[in-house]
Amino acid sequence: MMVKAEKKKILYVQTSGIETPERLYAPFILAMTARAMDLDASIYFLIKGITVLKIGAAEKIKIGTFPTLKEIIDQSVKTGVKIYACSQSCELMGMPKGDLIKEATIAGAATLNDLVIEADGTLYF
Amino acid sequence: MELDLRGLYCPIPVLRTREEIGKLAIGEILVVTADDPAAEEDITRWAKRVGQDVMDVKKNGDEVTIRIRRLK
Repeated sequence: MMVKAEKKKILYVQTSGIETPERLYAPFILAMTARAMDLDASIYFLIKGITVLKIGAAEKIKIGTFPTLKEIIDQSVKTGVKIYACSQSCELMGMPKGDLIKEATIAGAATLNDLVIEADGTLYF
Repeated sequence: MELDLRGLYCPIPVLRTREEIGKLAIGEILVVTADDPAAEEDITRWAKRVGQDVMDVKKNGDEVTIRIRRLK
């Protein structure tokens, strides 16, 4: 019997936050494209990156003719992009974990290490 | 054996779990309870990575209880 090969995996790590909106679109655009390429795509948010996942934050980010970041996040989730939020980064940035969008899976150090090891490639923003 | 990890945060729950499972005999079960929201994802991934068996994961409000069998 043929065993279907596991999908290739790509991971994006976002450390930039809402004060640099121009750095926030690329991981989502890339991840959505990865899904179209039949890859598993995950984005892990840590350090300042966590501010992107605060409820209400992405609605306020819009650059030029781009849609709001919220629209991009929603589209990404719909295509199957997985979103992880670093729990200790919430602590670091003084953000209660209840302030995170529901699409984010709260995770920690073991998860990020594991995601990097299991990914076929990782990009850092 | 039971391990109470409530009130401890990343990466301590994973480190304590690793320490405690090392005290068990092969085949014995460690039951860990944590309230760090990262613990479920972290501990289950850690177990898979190191080849231990996650038997089940139960959530109760903000707490999660994970049963892990030592395989090696």
